[in-house]
Amino acid sequence: MIDRNKLDDLAKKLMFKMNDNEYETLLKEFDITLKQMDFISNINDIVNVEPIFFPFDLELDDSCLRNDNYRNEIDFNDMLVNVKKYEGSKVKVPKVVE
Amino acid sequence: MTELLIDDIRKELDDGNVTSDELFNESIEKANKFQDVYNSFVTIMDKKEEVNSNSLLSGIPYALKDNISTKGILTTGSSNILKDYIPVYDATVYRKLKEAGAVLVGKTVLDELAMGGSGTTGHTGIVRNPWNKERSIGGSSSGSAASVALGIVPFSIGSDTGDSIRKPAAYGGIVGFKPTYGRVSRYGLFAFASSLDTVGVMARSIRDISYVMDIIKGHDDNDMTSLPDENIKYSDNLDNDVSGRKLFYIKEALENNSGNEELKRIIDNFYRTVDKARELGFEVEEVSFDKVLLEAVYPAYNVISCAEATSNNSNLTGITFGNRVEGSNINDIMIKTRTEGFSELIKRRFVIGSYVLQKENQDKLFLNACRVRRLIVDKMNELFKRYDGLILPSTEKIAPRFDEASDKLGDDYLILGNHLIIGNFGGFPSISIPSGFVNDMPISVNITGRAKEDALVLNMANKLEGILGFRGQVSKSE
Repeated sequence: MIDRNKLDDLAKKLMFKMNDNEYETLLKEFDITLKQMDFISNINDIVNVEPIFFPFDLELDDSCLRNDNYRNEIDFNDMLVNVKKYEGSKVKVPKVVE
Repeated sequence: MTELLIDDIRKELDDGNVTSDELFNESIEKANKFQDVYNSFVTIMDKKEEVNSNSLLSGIPYALKDNISTKGILTTGSSNILKDYIPVYDATVYRKLKEAGAVLVGKTVLDELAMGGSGTTGHTGIVRNPWNKERSIGGSSSGSAASVALGIVPFSIGSDTGDSIRKPAAYGGIVGFKPTYGRVSRYGLFAFASSLDTVGVMARSIRDISYVMDIIKGHDDNDMTSLPDENIKYSDNLDNDVSGRKLFYIKEALENNSGNEELKRIIDNFYRTVDKARELGFEVEEVSFDKVLLEAVYPAYNVISCAEATSNNSNLTGITFGNRVEGSNINDIMIKTRTEGFSELIKRRFVIGSYVLQKENQDKLFLNACRVRRLIVDKMNELFKRYDGLILPSTEKIAPRFDEASDKLGDDYLILGNHLIIGNFGGFPSISIPSGFVNDMPISVNITGRAKEDALVLNMANKLEGILGFRGQVSKSE
């Protein structure tokens, strides 16, 4: 059963806040989604079907495992277009360890 | 001149009747002229990129969806969270077009982060339908469709995760092609749902689609899901004989139990199209498909796409990516950035995605959706042993009015409104072709074929386009 508390917990895990209207719409959508998924659960013998995660078997060969060579693809000056603060050749980011 | 087909523009360029600079300027003028009303673009280029090439596309203007990375050019995904983001590398599709000498005119509006189908959720406003500005063009490749339908550019690039190229193409009276999964590199495309995402083309003819595909397809070491190169040119195979080719349509998708008059006219148009296909030598048969599976298409898509999207967009935190909103500590920064950066629709999708991936829900929700995907793909592949393609109306309705266009999940379910998703489930090449008008709005048929047989799908679609008579169509606004 989905309720506001559960949705609130999920939103916290996803690192955003939602307002009352957003929760209201979401509860309605969950109601529909879970009903639809119940319908899927009732498909005959569904649990014994092997799930797929891609459209077809990918034709992977050795080339998908590239050699572990260092590739510095991003020029520092190019990167600066998205950087708010930097010092010398180092980007300043918010403190991530409290 | 930008409203012409590529062959005609090429001839004018080669004959010296127009220069690529003049073509670029014409496109820019049209883009600006239509922008206030139709809002096709997030960015209109102020300077032409200069690349020398002898390719067919050299000097030809085009538009690119704003979720495809362009080094040094703003690329927002039509989301506030990326409203100032400037990529530091080029997507492969953009690099290939640039090397071919195609000229970028602008970056087009999409539904935020490509997660919508209404053309109303981009951070710079709604995109209007060039055939009737009170109606939506659909999405998510909304601006890419509108810019082609308005005659601003002869072709554009979009992305398609559920129907995001083919549906707006249908609503806009143009051609929209989703190639086989992996045929065009996804390197540089902002990921929505990686197992479904496909880069594709919108244009005013299948020949033009093929010209562009011949440039942008091919293996890319930067995308481990990209297919090996194939030794075939699509544009050389468009006129192959199709007599004896077999198509099927799904009986259950054409049921109209409500007696809806608009749907009736769309279905009537479809049967007339089938008659024309038979005149060309196609064999077309009706096939019955398990209705339970057809009704499970959208629910399964909803679960899979939301789950993948939640994961793919977890890097938009304001620390590594995203428009940072300052806060008192790292958690506060991330929460404020994501709360302000994402619209309501995106948050709802992420919550659904996160829920289905919770350990206790994975089997009943996420894995069951992937099991349904298997059943549908296996059934389609079984049918593709007997048939060369599936043909159906592209949509169940004409482009909706804005008060009817919504990305909220509804209780009503129409098989015909969701069948295009099957193309993404199985990675099948799939194309929407204009087939007529209902209530003065364009309607369309769709052909979906076997995975990796893009050339055959384009060949069959080209033959059908020839007899339908809407090749080169531009909206009446122009």
